[in-house]
Amino acid sequence: MSIEVKNLSFSYGKLRALHDVSLSLEQGAVGLLGPNGAGKSTLLRILLGFLAPDAGEGRILGYDIRQEQPLIRRAVGYMPEDDCFIPGMDAVSFTSYFGELSGMPRQEAMKRAHEVLFYVGLGESRYRLLETYSAGMKQRLKLAQALVHDPRILFLDEPTSNLDPHGRTEILELIRDISSKKGIQVLLCSHILSDIESICAYVVILNKGQVAAQGDIQELKEINYRLFELKIKGESEDFVKKLRDLGCRVEETEDKILKIYMPADQDKMRIFEVARQTQVQVRQFVRSQTSLEDLFARAVGVD
Amino acid sequence: MTIREKGYTHWDGQLRQTRFPWWPITRTGIKLAFKIKGFRLFFVFSLIPSFVYLVGIYISERMENFRFMIKGSEKILQINPGYFKSYLTSDFLLFMMVMLLVFGGARLISDDLKNNALQLYFSRPIQKKDYFLGKASILFFFLLILTLVPGLVFFLMKLIFAASFAFFAAFPWLLLSIVIYSLLVTIFFASYTLLLSSLSKNKRYVAVLIFAVYLFSDIIAAILNEIFRTPYVALFSLKVNLQQMGAFLFQQKAHYAVPWFYSFLVLAAVCALTVWVLGKKIKGVEVIK
Repeated sequence: MSIEVKNLSFSYGKLRALHDVSLSLEQGAVGLLGPNGAGKSTLLRILLGFLAPDAGEGRILGYDIRQEQPLIRRAVGYMPEDDCFIPGMDAVSFTSYFGELSGMPRQEAMKRAHEVLFYVGLGESRYRLLETYSAGMKQRLKLAQALVHDPRILFLDEPTSNLDPHGRTEILELIRDISSKKGIQVLLCSHILSDIESICAYVVILNKGQVAAQGDIQELKEINYRLFELKIKGESEDFVKKLRDLGCRVEETEDKILKIYMPADQDKMRIFEVARQTQVQVRQFVRSQTSLEDLFARAVGVD
Repeated sequence: MTIREKGYTHWDGQLRQTRFPWWPITRTGIKLAFKIKGFRLFFVFSLIPSFVYLVGIYISERMENFRFMIKGSEKILQINPGYFKSYLTSDFLLFMMVMLLVFGGARLISDDLKNNALQLYFSRPIQKKDYFLGKASILFFFLLILTLVPGLVFFLMKLIFAASFAFFAAFPWLLLSIVIYSLLVTIFFASYTLLLSSLSKNKRYVAVLIFAVYLFSDIIAAILNEIFRTPYVALFSLKVNLQQMGAFLFQQKAHYAVPWFYSFLVLAAVCALTVWVLGKKIKGVEVIK
């Protein structure tokens, strides 16, 4: 296991940010999801050693998160959410500077800085002052400084925030390339579910400081429930109430389509039985593809 | 802007644990300071007194050649610990040091706070003390060039121009005084600057603060002196405290009849406050409780 934490807890004063979080993550891209205040950033900060957990233990690449923080930071690259730069520097000196601080020899850091800047698409503008960079270029720069020392794990905190659609696509393409072809594990923390769905095979959903769900995205979507979309004719009130009594979650969209999230152990024919009992005509019945949004909504208990 | 003009390759080197992980911070900080126009100008100006005093040492050893120029000013050119003290504690030199701190020191931490750079530093295998030492060493570099280096050069040049060790034999403790005073001034000013730089994200505000606190401490001491007529109010002035320490270390009569260790305590208190504030203010991430 490259990242393994057991019973991790952390509080900011009286505010409990993480409670009894246990994770076991292997190679590949992992998405870290959760609403605001769920504890995602706190978890990243603990993994990086910025914060010491109140309880629990953890290992990253075999290094203890309490005792061996310098070794973890040497093996991990971190791309923060906020814009980070040092005024007066150009991209090459900035990137090589952080390579040196990671423990690279000066010459090697400089050579490597050129390479990663070309890789992230800043080759042409690597001698420009950072103050003149656009939001998209600053995102790439943050990725370059996270990659410069060739980490084994990358922690990416909202890597596509503040980007236009084109810039977002390019950054996602880079992350996909890094995680799938370069053998670097990626822990992607994002609010944008489609970003996670497009890159990660595995997802961890945090809610109120606890793990609400974790596992392979496809399996989670399959195992937990099936989604059906219906159009009906007649009074829907009784129909919906009876479905809810069966354990289904029912949502009505603006165009009057009923989305029924049915537990995996229920037979879909029960929907027709309920329709017959409540004298409702089923005009349309479609087995729909569940999305990460659906999974997320179920895990954190919001519509 | 195309992605992956060159592919990503793994680095086959070995990351090493260096004895001085703060050194890249210092080296880069010095380079960045020299890019600031105002800083370069003041740095050059601040070197002028050291050249003047060096010339003074040369003339003092060739008095017969320059007698037409001196005309009764021989006393000024007597090279003794007082000469060193007058250079190292001169109002002009201290003022120029403050100006260097204003132009080159104000931004050291405030820029990192403003641009969220701290989380980049602390996601590397460096500790808080490495970060502070790296930043402080930038100031050490410039301040020691204005204090320790000229002090040692003056001493050496005095021996060379005199072509004897008589001066060394007469004042064997002087070298130690130069070293201790230079370190004292440097550590104090570095602490003072880092303390103020950590208080705001706005480097202009910090620059004003560095200048104003130094200046107003002097003004307040003068006003209190008018009111209370006691030398102890001089302890409010940062400049006077440095000069009092200089007078003690170079075994000269102090301007104010206040024991030297009071001044030392004031300067040490500022350094202690710096350590405490930096420990509280500087974190890898914002933690809101």
